[in-house]
Amino acid sequence: MRDYFPFFKRKQDITYLDSAATSQTLYTVAEDMRDFMLDHKSNAHRSGNSMGTWVDQQYQLSKELIGKWLNLNKPEKRIVFNSGTTQGLNDAAQLIMSAMSSGVVFIGIDSHHSLILPWTQSGNSKWKVVFIELDKDGRLDLNDLKTKMKLEPLAVSKVIAVNAVSNVLGLVNDLDGIKKIALDYAAVSVIDASQIISKRQVNFSGFDFVAWSWHKVYGPMGLGCLLIDPVWLNFDPVRSGGGSVTRVSIDSVTWQTNAGKFESGTQNLAAISALPRLVEWLIEHQHDIETHDISLARIINDHISLAQFTPVSKTDSGLLCLDPVVGSVEDYTMMLDAKNIMIRSGKLCAEPLITQVSNNGLLRLSWGCYTTKQEIELALDSLGEIHARFSRHVQRAV
Amino acid sequence: MLDFQDMFSELFELEDQLDKYDWIIEYGAVAKPVFSVNKLDVNLVRGCTSNLWIEKIEGNIYCYGESLIVQGIASMICDWHNQASQKQQMDFSLNILTNIGLAPLLSMGRQNGVANLIAKIKTL
Repeated sequence: MRDYFPFFKRKQDITYLDSAATSQTLYTVAEDMRDFMLDHKSNAHRSGNSMGTWVDQQYQLSKELIGKWLNLNKPEKRIVFNSGTTQGLNDAAQLIMSAMSSGVVFIGIDSHHSLILPWTQSGNSKWKVVFIELDKDGRLDLNDLKTKMKLEPLAVSKVIAVNAVSNVLGLVNDLDGIKKIALDYAAVSVIDASQIISKRQVNFSGFDFVAWSWHKVYGPMGLGCLLIDPVWLNFDPVRSGGGSVTRVSIDSVTWQTNAGKFESGTQNLAAISALPRLVEWLIEHQHDIETHDISLARIINDHISLAQFTPVSKTDSGLLCLDPVVGSVEDYTMMLDAKNIMIRSGKLCAEPLITQVSNNGLLRLSWGCYTTKQEIELALDSLGEIHARFSRHVQRAV
Repeated sequence: MLDFQDMFSELFELEDQLDKYDWIIEYGAVAKPVFSVNKLDVNLVRGCTSNLWIEKIEGNIYCYGESLIVQGIASMICDWHNQASQKQQMDFSLNILTNIGLAPLLSMGRQNGVANLIAKIKTL
């Protein structure tokens, strides 16, 4: 799997364990984006020339293949291209608030800021925010969700906004359970899929909105998808402009009847042109990707007891966060960097959760389909060695 | 009065990045301040990724950082500042530290913190 990623041939001395922030790039993506910029750059949608038609074909083919990958019917009515997860989750929140005048949104406490802030900072006082707590294992507590939903019988509208996998805990939340609750309580569902989409095959049917970024799926930066239930095509877009319409007069507009309605303006077509070969690769390797993720999670869960750190939880997928006993997370990150091991530390854009589990942030090791068992072991051994160094310094100072 | 590089020449003679970090951490851990810095908001250096407090006590500046590396770097800066001439203190800047080869030891976030530390020292 590693051979598909040129980065690892070009930077053989680097141990890259920050894939939850962004993944390394599949070779086809680098090739296709370069080809687009050098040979095919043209704009999509009704250009009338052959270069523009080629771009249109890539755009349509991308949606068809994403539909095949995720098993979606009528992908042209379900897939909205945008700049990434953050835009997708903001657009979903704005669309819901414009369609429903008031209500309660139930947000997972393990969420990334990009899922929380569109609601808490909307300035719309008619929408109340309630947080869903975690169960003893660290997954979203669906009993807590149900209890809190029952406490809001008068809410005109209800929304459940959760991530599939927390970018702090690496635990897979019970999406089927969440889907059932959303159905039982007639709630709108918004799923942040950014940490699961590159790891597991998920059935997203039945959710209203699902958002992810392609740069976490071995693809290009600046491109995301918002999967919508076609019922939302009945509402006006939160942003208007070229590409989202079929007819415009001085005082009226006819919107597109497919997902392009929510894609005003020129899309990141260089990135979109790289999707067909990327998605075909994902379809071909889905099973291996999933098996590898589960295997690395198992290895890291087994090894972590050997290191001098407190894991925030065991992991199911993609990442593990640690709380060091000695020294700050920043110290460990810089010391690992000196050994060419790239990890991330801090509050991980998830402060409501981080403040519950740590005083000063966490260390996060995260992997992709190209990460080897040896790299995980090297990072854990190095963390243990740095811990020993720090302990010696601290003891000497006492 | 020594310039910064002369005062810490031992550090600049080290070649390995990890050895440099070790030296800095040890400096911060072993060089105990005579006075304990009060961890008050007024003493907090803004912009550091981990908390750092500095305080002027009886004419000298002391620090306390939660990060071992930050504590080391801040201790070096405070100790150097405490013995420097007024002109050296006035001329001191982040650029001097990066120009003498400390840049690889300072992430962008930490560079902002060091710049704020130097600015705060000058106000004390």
